[in-house]
Amino acid sequence: MTAAVMTSSRRPRATPAISRSATRPAQATSAPKLRYIVVTLVGIFAILGGQLLLSISVSSGAYEISSLKSEMRSSQQSLQIVGEEIGALNAPDTLASLAASMGMVEDNNPAYLRVSDGIVLGEALPADPSEQAGIVGVTAGTEAPVISPIITDVSAALSAQAVVEMSAEDALAQALSVEAEAQEGSIQTAMVVTTTAPTTFGGSIPSPSTR
Amino acid sequence: MTHQRLTSRRMAIALLLVFVIAALFLTRLVDVQVVRASELQEQSEAIRTTQETVWASRGSIVDSFGNDLAVDVDRYDISADPSVAGDFRRDGETISLESAMADIAQLTGAVAEELVYAVRQDPESRFTYLVKGVSPETRLALRELGIPWLQIDLVRERTYPFGAVAGNITGMLGTDRPLAGVELDWDECLAAHNGVATYQRGADGVRLPGTTTTVEAPVHGGDVVLTLDSDLQWYVLQQLADHGSRLGAESGSAMVVRVKDGHILAAADWPTFDPNDFSQTPTSNTGARIFSSPYEPGSIMKAIGVAMLIDAGYTYAEDRLVAPGFYEVYSGRYIKNYSVAQDTQLTTAGVLQTSSNTGMSVLADRMPAATATRYFEKFGFGEITAVDFLGESQGVVNSGDSLDVVTRYNQFFGQGISVTAAQMAGSYQTLANDGVRLPLRLVDGCRSIDGQWVSAPSAEPVTVVSPSAAQQVVRSLETIVSQGPLRNTLSIPGYRVAAKTGTAEIADATGYGDERVISLAGMAPAEDPEYVVLVSFTKPQTSRVSSAAAPAFHDVMSHVLKHYRVAPSSVPAVLPPVTW
Repeated sequence: MTAAVMTSSRRPRATPAISRSATRPAQATSAPKLRYIVVTLVGIFAILGGQLLLSISVSSGAYEISSLKSEMRSSQQSLQIVGEEIGALNAPDTLASLAASMGMVEDNNPAYLRVSDGIVLGEALPADPSEQAGIVGVTAGTEAPVISPIITDVSAALSAQAVVEMSAEDALAQALSVEAEAQEGSIQTAMVVTTTAPTTFGGSIPSPSTR
Repeated sequence: MTHQRLTSRRMAIALLLVFVIAALFLTRLVDVQVVRASELQEQSEAIRTTQETVWASRGSIVDSFGNDLAVDVDRYDISADPSVAGDFRRDGETISLESAMADIAQLTGAVAEELVYAVRQDPESRFTYLVKGVSPETRLALRELGIPWLQIDLVRERTYPFGAVAGNITGMLGTDRPLAGVELDWDECLAAHNGVATYQRGADGVRLPGTTTTVEAPVHGGDVVLTLDSDLQWYVLQQLADHGSRLGAESGSAMVVRVKDGHILAAADWPTFDPNDFSQTPTSNTGARIFSSPYEPGSIMKAIGVAMLIDAGYTYAEDRLVAPGFYEVYSGRYIKNYSVAQDTQLTTAGVLQTSSNTGMSVLADRMPAATATRYFEKFGFGEITAVDFLGESQGVVNSGDSLDVVTRYNQFFGQGISVTAAQMAGSYQTLANDGVRLPLRLVDGCRSIDGQWVSAPSAEPVTVVSPSAAQQVVRSLETIVSQGPLRNTLSIPGYRVAAKTGTAEIADATGYGDERVISLAGMAPAEDPEYVVLVSFTKPQTSRVSSAAAPAFHDVMSHVLKHYRVAPSSVPAVLPPVTW
């Protein structure tokens, strides 16, 4: 400690000599010093600024992730809503009542046309619409099932469509019967129930006959 | 030097102070960073960290076509904070609590007054439920309302999209656990375990990136795949309900089995229940009687009896015998027929066609009781089926030694032996499959979430009778459909069908009473059977004879043939004579 004190007490004497002899070099070194300072400061600010920008972008990324996640959730939800609707439409009960509302009847005496030799297998008898049983309740002690609004919507749309198509169907039936008369004497083929093509709801719901 | 000494003392004091302060800071530092480090860190994390449940889905129960019979869906519980619930501003206008509640009520079907009351009854509280379990659609609409004090929480709910169609098989879920059926029996496969995750969030509630930690990963349940065909199951159930209510029957059951692999395609019980809403259903209707309720099957057992006798070499389809009007078991104890009171010349096929009790007794007399018992057991009676359904009954086969003389004969026409409808369908599958009984199958297996398939346990096929014995019985049963009194009801144009009727008396405390179980079991196409159908009604009122069950059998069988595109029979039937 005393050495340090002594050194400092000696310094004033030495300084003038140094300053005198090194005036020009001192001026020469102050420019690089300033450059160092500027470079260092700019560097520091650049780093700080960069870090700031980075953390801003990271946190805005967090907001973006958050909004994308909520978008994903809402998409999943729409998927679930649609999935449940399809499930409700896919239920055998619904399919049967929709088929009935389209005027389809069930024929329990099936006949098949073998494509390879054109032979009709089985006895094709027309279905008797009067024998069709309605859909009956199968539970006891439970309330009548609540029909999903989508089903009633579809039913309404279908019956409206059926009215329009009925006339077209009549025309077709007429044409077919004329044709059948013309072909009398040829192979006796059975007319199985003709119906209009079922609405397939975008292909997501199999029609009753294909499942 | 005095000056110097003073300076150095001052320096020493300053240094000492620096040391003391440094030491204090150091102690504090060590205390904070080392001694209490973990405790403090926990405290700070607790402030920033939020915990959330990661919902896991319970597995679905699906039919053989992949249709969901039971599935987990998102539902939402709507609640409010009464302490802040009140009028609020939306788009510059003030909305009153009442009108907000009216909007909620309109969307959810709740009663607006009740919602207002729920919030008003205790204005101090911080939480009250308004509506539970609303659909995702309703939730979106509710969010559009922009009510600040409304809270919406996700919950998982079990739904059964096809309602009552397969309720007897799927069973149902209670508030926190499965209660019956496949839901309970296969809970190990289906069960899901919710996970827990934590994340840190800033003051504005936004999740800090990279802080989400899964404390406990959610484990989703696997799917249980059934052999059922839900379209067929629905149709069969409709027929049971339609014909059953016309008969005034107490209940009805029906099963469709695919002969070649023993898969149960439909197993319906009527009346049944809707697993979505079973609170009002009497418990007698919430199970699968087809597996759990044993009954005395009646004459449909005669086909089994004749198969046993033919296999053991005691008779054959064309074998001639005289069926007496009355068969004397022992002095004073007679077995009589349903209608015929005089001696009749029948073949063994004729015994089946006319369902002659006395003719059957003549044949049964040829076989020792112990042998008969062994055969009954080989047909699967007296033990649960390979399905091993929850609560399945094994029925009762009285063994050879404990049999009284009358029961020994009665067993051959399905009295004094109790079976389940599933066992009975299994025994007809044996006849249809050239005498080889395949294990019945209802659950095909479990597909875990990572796609791993675990097949349901099964059993070995059992050769019960010879192919010849089985075929002779099938031919004999064909005479019932093509020539018997029910031919107009039972026959299906284009197809060869073999079937047997049965009317069983129901025993009560005082013996056999007036009530009946009427049933029909059969198979088609008879030349190479593919499907077995069994239909039975318990306690029919408008008609108590087995012919009353015939229309239901006909409708189900013809639907099965059409549904599975079975080609009409092309081989003409060569049937045994029934009389001589």
